[in-house]
Amino acid sequence: VEPRPPAFLSVSLDPSPVIEAYKKDVDRTLLRENLRLTTTERVRKMVAALRFAETVRRSRVKADAT
Amino acid sequence: VTDFERLLTVLTQAGVDFIVIGGFAATAHGSAHVTVDLDVVYRRTADNLDRLAGALDPLHPYLRGAPPGLPFRLDPDTLRQGLNFTLVTQAGDLDLLGEATGGGTYEALLPHSEVRDVAGLECRFVDLPTLIRLKRAAGRPKDLERIAELEALRQEEP
Repeated sequence: VEPRPPAFLSVSLDPSPVIEAYKKDVDRTLLRENLRLTTTERVRKMVAALRFAETVRRSRVKADAT
Repeated sequence: VTDFERLLTVLTQAGVDFIVIGGFAATAHGSAHVTVDLDVVYRRTADNLDRLAGALDPLHPYLRGAPPGLPFRLDPDTLRQGLNFTLVTQAGDLDLLGEATGGGTYEALLPHSEVRDVAGLECRFVDLPTLIRLKRAAGRPKDLERIAELEALRQEEP
């Protein structure tokens, strides 16, 4: 008996009205910018954004404490 | 902040068979969202469980969100007896998945993955259509925005 293929493979990639509605708000300029980068550059850009967000979060905690 | 490059280095240098999925895979494909943890699907063969446990041991993995002091040790037996582990390590948050939603084992995902260079490391990532399928299969409302972005990426890819 052939093993059944995993369920994720049967998930359709056809357009969904809900996702199409969300897609209108996607900033494609950011995506085009990222697609010009290498994978390493994409990763480092994301990590820099994450670190900046963490710095902002910590500064807010300090401000709240004073 | 999770040190993604350190985690990937540790896993790769130990020869662990794994496939990156989730938000970090989305980043690799060009997503503009940030992600705070690394999600990997690992191969559940005995020798890979040995390599995985050995690679992570120096990073002192512990169950994320669990109270301190539990007698938890991520050794090959622990990996064998469990499946999916959400961990905190000295290099940040790491989710080890024996199976992603919808039957996404290492073997099932392997034909739908691609090797990418990250900081000189050759790492295997799930491909973009499969990442979308996995997120759709998870069916979480919070993923709708991410799925929309990934589908837009598919349209924008050269």
